[in-house]
Formats: sequence, C-alpha cells, structure tokens
Amino acid sequence: MTIDVNAADMRRSYGAQITRRYAMIAIVFALLAFSFFLDVATGPGPYPLSTVFDVLTEPLSHGVRLKVIVWDYRLPVAITAVLVGALLAVAGAQMQTILNNPLAEPFTLGVSAAASFGASLAIVLGFSVIPAVGPLLVTINAFVFALATCGFILFATRLKGVGSETMILFGIAIFFTFSALLALMQYMASEDQIARIVFWMMGSLGRASWEKIALGALLLAVAVPFSLVRTWPMTALRMGEATAQSMGIDVARLRVEMLICISFLAATAVSFVGTVGFVGLVGPHIARLLVGEDQRYFIPLSALVGALVLSLTSLISKSITPGIIYPIGIITSLIGVPVFISIILSTRRERLS
Amino acid sequence: MTLNIKNLHAGYGAKEILCNVSIPEIKFGSFVGLIGPNASGKSTFFKTLAGLVQPSHGLITINSEDLTKLRRKDRARRIAYMPQAFGCNALLTVFESVLLALKQTTGWRVQDDNLDRVADTLASLGLTHLANRGIADLSGGQAQMVAVAQTIVRAPEVILLDEPTSALDLHHQLSILTSVRNELNRKKPVVMAALHDLNLAAKFCDRLVLLRDGLILADGQPDEILALSDIGETYRVETALERTTRGALYVDARLPA
Repeated sequence: MTIDVNAADMRRSYGAQITRRYAMIAIVFALLAFSFFLDVATGPGPYPLSTVFDVLTEPLSHGVRLKVIVWDYRLPVAITAVLVGALLAVAGAQMQTILNNPLAEPFTLGVSAAASFGASLAIVLGFSVIPAVGPLLVTINAFVFALATCGFILFATRLKGVGSETMILFGIAIFFTFSALLALMQYMASEDQIARIVFWMMGSLGRASWEKIALGALLLAVAVPFSLVRTWPMTALRMGEATAQSMGIDVARLRVEMLICISFLAATAVSFVGTVGFVGLVGPHIARLLVGEDQRYFIPLSALVGALVLSLTSLISKSITPGIIYPIGIITSLIGVPVFISIILSTRRERLS
Repeated sequence: MTLNIKNLHAGYGAKEILCNVSIPEIKFGSFVGLIGPNASGKSTFFKTLAGLVQPSHGLITINSEDLTKLRRKDRARRIAYMPQAFGCNALLTVFESVLLALKQTTGWRVQDDNLDRVADTLASLGLTHLANRGIADLSGGQAQMVAVAQTIVRAPEVILLDEPTSALDLHHQLSILTSVRNELNRKKPVVMAALHDLNLAAKFCDRLVLLRDGLILADGQPDEILALSDIGETYRVETALERTTRGALYVDARLPA
C-alpha cells in the first residue's frame, strides 16, 4: 500500500511544519519579552537591571522616585511600543491580505498622513471634529481622520476598475493631499505649534498613558478573536478572489468586515504615537517568511514581530545618544524603506522552508 | 439519485446569458461534458449552479430538493466549483491550500480526519511529491491539478470543472481526467466539465451537452452528439466523426473551404 505510506509521510511533514511554526512564535515571543525588559531598564537615569527588576516586582522597594520613573514613565512607554507595534502589524497584515498587495499598510495607504493632518488641525486651530474632548483633542482628531481615510479606502476598493496595484496609487494620492494640507497648517502655525506638529509627525512614544494602553488593549482583545474566526476565509482569499468565492465565501462581505476592523486598529495606533511608518510592512513581511500565510500563525506572528520591531526601536531611540530620545518614526522609516524596496523587487516566488 | 436542471435563465444585470437551459436526469456517477465555443455561456452556467450568479428563473434540484434555497456555505459543500485557473503568489504549501479548501465547511479546528482526507486526496491525484511545495512555485499544469484537489477534497455531490485541461500538456490532460474518472467511480458524484477538446470529451464523458449563445443545441451520448452537423456549424468548421483503429471516437475538423 504505497498510497498509505505517502499519506502518512505527508501528515508527518505537515505536523513537523506546525511544530516549527509554534517554535518560531515562541522564539519571537521570548525575544519580545527580552526586548521589553531592556526597554524598561533603559533610560536617561542609569539604574542597574536588578534595581529596575525590583521596582517592577515591588514598586516601592527603591523609593518613590524610582517607582515614578519605572511605573509612570518607562513602563507605559514600553507597553505602548509593544501594543502599537502589534496593532500596526496586524492592521498591515490584514490590509495586505484583503487588498492582495504586500505593500499595503497604514503608512503607505495615507492613513498616517491623514492622522497627522487631523492632529495639526487640533494643534493649530484648536479645531475639534468631536466637541468637548478636552486633553484628548489631538488624539481624537487624528483618530477621526485616520478612520475616515480607511472609510475612503473601503469605498475605493468597491469602485470598478480599482485593482490591487491601484490601491497603493490611491494611497499616494491621499498622502500627497494631506501633505499639502499639512503644509498649509504649518504655514499658518506659530513657531511653537510648528514644533508640536513636527514632533507629532516624527512619531513618539512619549505620549503614552495607562488610559491609552487600556483602550488599545481592549481593541486588540476584540480584534484578535474577530480575526481568528475569519482565518480560514482570509487564508482562502490569498488563493484569489474567484477561488475564494467558489469555496462559498462571501468575499465582498469579508472585505468590508475586515476593513472596518483594520480601520479601528490602524486609526488607534497612529493617533496614539503619530506617524510611525513601515511597522505594518516589516512585521508581516518577516512573519510571512517565517511561517507562510496560514492566517492562524501568520496573524499572531505578525503581531509579535511588529511588537518586537517597535520595542527594539524604542530601545534604539534611547541608546544612540545617552540622554536623548530620538523620534521613533525616523528609525522605523530607516529600517522600513529597505524592506519596502526589497518587497517591490522580490519576485514573490520565495520557497517555503 | 439525479441532478435536474430545469428552465434556467441567468445573466448579469439586464443581459441574459443563459436562455431556458434544461439538462434533465443527470445520473450520479456520470461525467457530463459541456462543449461549445468561447462565450457560449459555459462559465455562467457553472457559476449559476454554484450560486455565484443568481438565476432569474429556473430550478436546480437533486432528487426533489431545491438547491437554490441553500445557504451559500451549505451549497458550496455540496456543489464544488473549480473556476478557470489563475496564478497565485500566496506563501502556502500545496498541502495547506487543499486543507484550506476543506476547512471552509468543516469548522475551525483542524481534526485528524481532515488531514487524512487532504493526504488521501493528494495521493489519489498523484500529487504526493508536491505536498510541501509552495503553490507559487507550481507550473500551470500542477496548479490546475491542485485546483482539482481543492475541489474534490470536499467530497461534494456535484463537481463543476471549468476548463480543467486548458493549461495542460497531453500527459497531464489525460492524467487529470483519469483521476476525475477514478473519483467518479469511487464516490459517485456528478461531474460536469467544460471542455474545448472534443476528442478528450469523447474519451471521458458519458454525456455531452452542446451549448451556444446560452442555448442548449444538443444533449446526448458522445457518439450521437459529435456526429451532428450542429457541431461543425457551432464551431464554424467542417467536421467528420471517425473511429480510430483502437476504437476511440475522433472528430476530424477542418476550416471550411
């Protein structure tokens, strides 16, 4: 019975593949935990690792001053890096699947540019899209503009003749539009306001707070199960729209549902930290190379790699020059652009390991 | 068990593609070939059966059960449609791509018997050696074999293959249709395939349906249908039906003088 032997072989090698994937996820998770801890331990004040670890486990063990530094400043920043990295990477991974374009992510589709404009409206004119939001004015404005842009992208995908390549061109058009509007805002702004806008556009984890973390975590807690339920149809969508439809999937509805989910993820992430480009590209790209595109592994690993990338970025931003925290958006762009170009150039016929 | 298609009308918007298509009494375990020139409505017919195009009128029944009333997913479980082949650059293995076809209708968790079924399907189509290959790395012919595997892994009652041999060399044409025949003998579904090669159709099909401009011109046994003068007229050629020395039907076609 040669057929049975072959079938058993196939099953064994599939099993081995799955084991390898869990191993990948575990390794990236371990790296993330390590990076997270280093991120908390690094900062302008030179405290030994053991001291920081003590404060993490027992807040007041080294006095109030250290508790404030670790718990009120470093920890929110480190958690925000992990959370936003995961949000951006999941949003990027889903966008790429839905739009069938490996270059799609919040930054390349113009969502970040729209958020920047929304933020600048608040900074310069004090104009609020939603009235009476108080100190969250800038964040809320950025969120609303980012969400509206996602809505526009959703609308654009339903237009006739808009293919997956065209979507990125739409993104560029959106980017140019909001860049021009942003320039207008800067022209009208005072020096102090210009500084705030530029600071926003460079992306910063300095605006981290426990409230934002709670909100982001809640969103992720809703979005992850929402995506997990749809992993099989989403994986099938990678076979092409016609094939997915022939398998009984309502492709149009799946696209709308997922884009709504993605919109919230992307809009939240960019409104928290400003423009942080390419994390949504680098995370999924590395995850794809490590575990392929079965969404059951691809999505969680994208989230972990995205979180790791931003956590490392946070670490790097503090380590280049002691005492100075460089804007993270600059660092992610410098890492991301080469990846962006390599994706464009790759023939996408990479072999699976 | 029989599949019955009665007075089917369907199209896109106001444009009617299928006009009163009826194919009665299709027996389970039979291979029906759909022949006709390009744009004769073969793909639309398959899409209508699969539920991707809504018929404006007509009945599709198995015994007396109306299939148009089924939910999309239930219908996909029972009627598996393989669209014409397109390339795909997903980073998935052949094994995964067949598994995902099965998992659309079998719940979220991958069970052991799901894996058995995928392995059996690949083995029965002679694709074992490709199981760990990335689907983006396949040749056109291999990709088409995988598409067939994605269709039959669901063990459907009705299998619709839209030009399953279009990208294949002679060896693969024969091997794919032989595999489909084997599946037919094992599980007795209805198989309907759109075929351009009339000699292949004659070799593998139990019944041929000639379609032109959304109308059924003829329906019957291959030797009857291929002998009709309608064949030549439909394809705008001159045909003569012959038998080869090995007993196979052979349609000799020439351009009209």
